Amino acid sequence: MASVGNKKDTLSLNLYPMMDIFSILITFLLMSYSTDPVSHDVNAGLELPDSQTMISLDEIPAIIVTKSELFVNDKKISDIVNGEVPKEQLGESYQGAIRPVYDELKRISDANKRIAVATSTDPALLGKTGALTMEMDKGHPFKLMKRIMLSAQQAEFVTFKLVVTRLEN
Amino acid sequence: MRRKRKGIKRDEPTDIELNIIPFIDVFSLLNTFLLFSAVFMATGIIEVQVPFLSNAPAPKEEGKRTLEVKIDAAKNKVQVITEYSKDPRNEQKFDFPNSKEGIDRMHERLVAIRQANPTQDKLTFYSEDDVIWENISALLDSAKFRKQTDPIFQVKNPKSGEMEQDTQFVFSKIVMGSVIL
Repeated sequence: MASVGNKKDTLSLNLYPMMDIFSILITFLLMSYSTDPVSHDVNAGLELPDSQTMISLDEIPAIIVTKSELFVNDKKISDIVNGEVPKEQLGESYQGAIRPVYDELKRISDANKRIAVATSTDPALLGKTGALTMEMDKGHPFKLMKRIMLSAQQAEFVTFKLVVTRLEN
Repeated sequence: MRRKRKGIKRDEPTDIELNIIPFIDVFSLLNTFLLFSAVFMATGIIEVQVPFLSNAPAPKEEGKRTLEVKIDAAKNKVQVITEYSKDPRNEQKFDFPNSKEGIDRMHERLVAIRQANPTQDKLTFYSEDDVIWENISALLDSAKFRKQTDPIFQVKNPKSGEMEQDTQFVFSKIVMGSVIL
């Protein structure tokens, strides 16, 4: 009777298929590797519109408007219901602005000014208006965007960098 | 006398195997690093401005007769309006359906306007409240960015004041005219 226990078998794992998979995976990852100055993960409850833009995102969005919430610097400001801020959360607004958004942005704007006064020697820079990066769900109406822009404008932010999904050309 | 070479005899069958374990180690580490740092969706920006009242002195061009280019977007229709800032105003309106084909045609019209007015790189954008951001971004895209088949325009360098080639934009400055205090 043949005994298996006494036999000395050499088992070798064939690693070549694994090497092939790794090579393909690395090639794919290197191809899709992004060298953008800012890498930002888009919120799960948010879909961005597509764009032909070649301009990369250069700072983390300050205003994020998901399908159901509005954030300023990661701080929840209000809910969004049917593409609008509920009336009770608009606050004491002026010409359609959203008061809590204005208050938060004004606080940031004032802080930026204080920093500019303390650090800058160029007087032209002191009166300079700010830029804001805004990320907004593609299904929201212009009315909501207008309200946010108006709030920001009153807080002296006049340039908006609207975040979009960049289509590869 | 012929000397015998020491070492591997050519006639003998050899069983050489490449040690691929270090390769796998490197690949695994590289894979892990790339998977952690990968961004699978490239994000970009469209820069726009809102009108702002300032105490700063008015620019020199204020008194000149310049062409104003406007886009007025509604849910089903887009209108491109051109008008001079002083008499004779020569107002012209071009209507397009708010669809992919309509936006493409609008782009062609804007390119023609820009070609006829090489110094004009500013466009004012108006929209109705119910137009969604996806649609607005398509319109802004079409108005702002140059396609590969479009001619290259000249733009004034704000620092040097010299005209330079602008390979990226049709209208580089877009003002959201609907956002007015």
